[in-house]
Amino acid sequence: MSIPILSILVFLPLAGCLLLLPAWNCRRLARPIALVVALTELTLALWLYASWKGLAVNPFPQGFLLLEDAPWIPAFGIRYTLALDGISLLMIMLTAIVFCVGLAVSWDSIKERTSLFLSMMLVMEAGIMGVFLALDLALFYLFWEMMLIPMFFLIGIWGHGRRLYSTLKFFLFTMSGSLLMLLAIIALHLLYAQQTGVSSFQLQELLKVQLPLETQLWLYAAFFLAFAIKFPLFPLHTWLPDAHTDAPTAGSVILAGLLLKTGSYALIRFGYPLFPQAAQMMTPLFYSLALIGIFYASLVAFAQQDMKRLIAYSSIGHMGYVAIGIAAWQPVALSGAIIQMANHGVTTAALFCMVGMLDERAHTREIAAFGGLWGKLPLWSFFFLLFAVTAMGVPGLNNFVGEFLILAGTIKSSPLVAVLAFCGIVFPLIYMVRLVQEVVFQKERQPLSLNDLNPREIGILAILALLDIWMGIHPAPLLEMLHVPVQLLTGGTP
Amino acid sequence: MDMITIPAVNLTPILPEIILSVLAMALLLINVFVQSSKKTYLSYISFIGVVGTAVLVGSGWGTHIESFSGAVVQDNFATFFKMIFLLAAGLAILIADQYMEREDCNHGELYPLILFTVVGMMLMAAGTDLMTIFLGLEVMSVSLYVLAGFNRANTKSNEAGLKYFLLGAFSTGFLLYGMALTYGATGSTRISVIATQAGQMGMSSGNILFLAGMLLILTGFCFKIAVVPFHMWTPDVYEGAPTPMTAFMSAGPKAAGFAAALRLLLIAFPTLQADWSQLLWVLAVLTMTVGNITALRQDNIKRILAYSSIAHAGYALVGMAAGNSTGTAGILFYMLSYTFMNIGAFAVIILVGKKGESNGNVQDFAGLGFKHPMLAVAMTIFLFSLSGMPPTAGFIGKFYLFSGAIQKGYIWLAVIGVLNSAASVYYYLRVMVYMYMKDPTEDFAWTKVSAPIALCLVLSVAGTMVLGIVPSIILQYAQEAIKLI
Amino acid sequence: MLGAYLPILLLVIVAIAFGLVSLTFSSLIGPKKKSALKLSPYESGCEPVGTARDRFSIKFYLIAMLFILFDIEAVFLYPWAILYKKLGVFGLVEMGLFIVILFVGYIYVWKKGALEWE
Repeated sequence: MSIPILSILVFLPLAGCLLLLPAWNCRRLARPIALVVALTELTLALWLYASWKGLAVNPFPQGFLLLEDAPWIPAFGIRYTLALDGISLLMIMLTAIVFCVGLAVSWDSIKERTSLFLSMMLVMEAGIMGVFLALDLALFYLFWEMMLIPMFFLIGIWGHGRRLYSTLKFFLFTMSGSLLMLLAIIALHLLYAQQTGVSSFQLQELLKVQLPLETQLWLYAAFFLAFAIKFPLFPLHTWLPDAHTDAPTAGSVILAGLLLKTGSYALIRFGYPLFPQAAQMMTPLFYSLALIGIFYASLVAFAQQDMKRLIAYSSIGHMGYVAIGIAAWQPVALSGAIIQMANHGVTTAALFCMVGMLDERAHTREIAAFGGLWGKLPLWSFFFLLFAVTAMGVPGLNNFVGEFLILAGTIKSSPLVAVLAFCGIVFPLIYMVRLVQEVVFQKERQPLSLNDLNPREIGILAILALLDIWMGIHPAPLLEMLHVPVQLLTGGTP
Repeated sequence: MDMITIPAVNLTPILPEIILSVLAMALLLINVFVQSSKKTYLSYISFIGVVGTAVLVGSGWGTHIESFSGAVVQDNFATFFKMIFLLAAGLAILIADQYMEREDCNHGELYPLILFTVVGMMLMAAGTDLMTIFLGLEVMSVSLYVLAGFNRANTKSNEAGLKYFLLGAFSTGFLLYGMALTYGATGSTRISVIATQAGQMGMSSGNILFLAGMLLILTGFCFKIAVVPFHMWTPDVYEGAPTPMTAFMSAGPKAAGFAAALRLLLIAFPTLQADWSQLLWVLAVLTMTVGNITALRQDNIKRILAYSSIAHAGYALVGMAAGNSTGTAGILFYMLSYTFMNIGAFAVIILVGKKGESNGNVQDFAGLGFKHPMLAVAMTIFLFSLSGMPPTAGFIGKFYLFSGAIQKGYIWLAVIGVLNSAASVYYYLRVMVYMYMKDPTEDFAWTKVSAPIALCLVLSVAGTMVLGIVPSIILQYAQEAIKLI
Repeated sequence: MLGAYLPILLLVIVAIAFGLVSLTFSSLIGPKKKSALKLSPYESGCEPVGTARDRFSIKFYLIAMLFILFDIEAVFLYPWAILYKKLGVFGLVEMGLFIVILFVGYIYVWKKGALEWE
């Protein structure tokens, strides 16, 4: 195939930023431009999805469906390598959808500096696309850092509350982790150069390095730290509630829907394959951090007064399941973890959107301010109930599929963890029921005159709801897409 | 009567120095003969001179010519550094005129002094004899003392000039003493002879005279490149000196110090590598850490950049401590990137500042992002580059330097380096927080951006981004340049 | 190798010791009779006038500095004059350049008005 479709996916949003320049001071023109770019990305992603089976007939090595490769900085052996397999395809689709949602949901709410906002969103999309596609570690690091910058501005300029504190905390946390990863990348590159005499940063090449266990542990620790901060795993999660709460709605949607997924994706793509023994050794630690995260975050979520903060903490809990699924490193659990990443991305994005919509109307997110919305905002309440039920993991909806697969896979390798994690499933039930009860059903606590959803909002939520239901009822096509890469990763035969 | 035989003299290696000196003297005379209060034409002439010299220097790439019995050399290493100096001088000249006009100290001597500084720096980079290096260092330093105190009416500038002079003279003493001891130990001031003597006589750290000579020379250079604990003068001098000169000082002379120190350590003192490498390890850690931590608490933007410049010297020392080809080439690349991003940042500071060096606090940047978007975008790029974010020149530079350290096995040095980088992000971000996330405290009385400053900004942004995205175009030159060393 | 410097070290020690010893002994042994006249500052045998901490006009310093600048350079002319024939044309050209550079400085100083007293 001659069209560099992966490069287009990465660079189209950046080109979109340039397109915004002529319309910089015209909000009416800028918004459609950005949305068209995001929709084009989505079309491309869906087109790739529609044609993946055709591409899989004649795959590149390691089961990649598409591969684009060119020299970039020959002096260091850094190459521009993008590759697509089932896992990245799923993530790409998620990215494209979440960005369309993010742009649509902030259509009216961002009134100031709109063009800057839109361009930050587009740069962000480019960065995240790059993270999910890059196969050269230096290139991956570039995108990994690149997505921080727009998020820093998104929270800092359009956020609310303690936005400056939150945005600095977010940036410093994530950056310190990734800098150590950079050192590990360099070290890995040098070890490879020592052993083969060639310098390269490409994943497939670096996989060939023979590492003594101790070196592997150190390097893995550096990678793990960077990914665990993004994940976020238990003691490193403190940036998340602040950043999510103070970010504008679109920012929260992208943080929860995509940024957290980059950590888990990178662990699957780079962390485990590069350092298998070390990862194996660290599994107990990984399990325990994930379990602590599930229990701790759920308890804290239960105590929250702010709806957005509650959902932020619930994210930590849900990502704990993804972590368990990865830690099991076993085909079923891993597929579950990947599916769960997509599920959580869609569901949490929807929940954040809904809180944002409520916040726009009532100008508060305090749980105690609401009550009895079922009668006043029937449509809003309907969707909220649906997504809350999804987050609880009710069968027939998508979270159930992911959690089921994760637990089913884990129980084979470590029954104790699976049992504990299974107990943890109760928690979302508790805090979500409380949230729904207090906000939607209880008697009205103070008179609020609110309008129900407008068509744009209904559209956004309906699409997300359909995705939830579709992925819940019929996840087979997605699982089929993940089958080959997951088998390859876990060392089975596809 | 026998004639004294004059050794053959080839002027080619010092032709750029000669041209710049003659130009500087001509400018001095033009300045006193032409009665004009505007000095803009002098800046144009000197800029053209610098560009012309750069073309000449660049055309000497790939040649290796020794002259003056091996006291001066024209090689790729010198050429690379000379280009950095000329770049720093060119950019500084572009931003000088508007500032000097505003501060009412637009004396024509500024430009000759800048050119003399460049001559000194070039001699330092091209010198292969302790005497030549010392001569270059003095020519550079004396001109810089005057430049630091150039704003005569401003007490802070006076303080800067005097402080720089006193501490500079002090450090020169160390350097000269070290050179004397080295001469005493090896019987020569020629770098190559020192190395062969040391090799033949097996001089290493056991020889106290030789070791002390190296240590004192290193101390002298550490003063010049502001290495902790010899950095005390830096913040005051950088804050007090006229801003364009601060920009120039933080880029050019620092690079010159590294050029001479690299040549000396790697060619004259390879037998002592174990010693100086360890020493630089410690100095690098101190320099990075003290620079970054002190910068966290500053409000004056010039002081922030002064401390950040100390920290950046520390990053470059990481490469020097490694002492291998990766680390050394890293220094070359880093110095070039630093010139672009730092002078660019100072250009923005000049535009935000107001008469009398006021408006120089971080708080005065509030709301800049929306009052003057283009300027703020430029500043954002420079700050991200200084903090080492991809895809900017600063990232590639740090990447290179830390690679050198890891290659050498200095893992912990690299770890401390990146932790420092992470800490430094805070104070760079702080400026951006003010630019984009706070409302302006008062109305901006906006100074117009003159064409030269605009050109400087465009060049700096282009340099910072191009070196970050396609660094290969320069990397190969940096790697060529260190082949001889 | 350092042994070669031993005589110098000895000389330094002897010099310091001699000074210290003679000062100590003269202050210990010498008779001390203080009077107002003896303790007053010496100014050519006259009564002191005004304070000793007087200020000179800055112009003296400027002239003094310029004098030193140009005067010291003249030192280089002597060895050249002695070896003039041996150095030949090369020496002449070099010295000419040297003088030209000095001359540029001289003109600059002159035009700048640094030589004018008022």
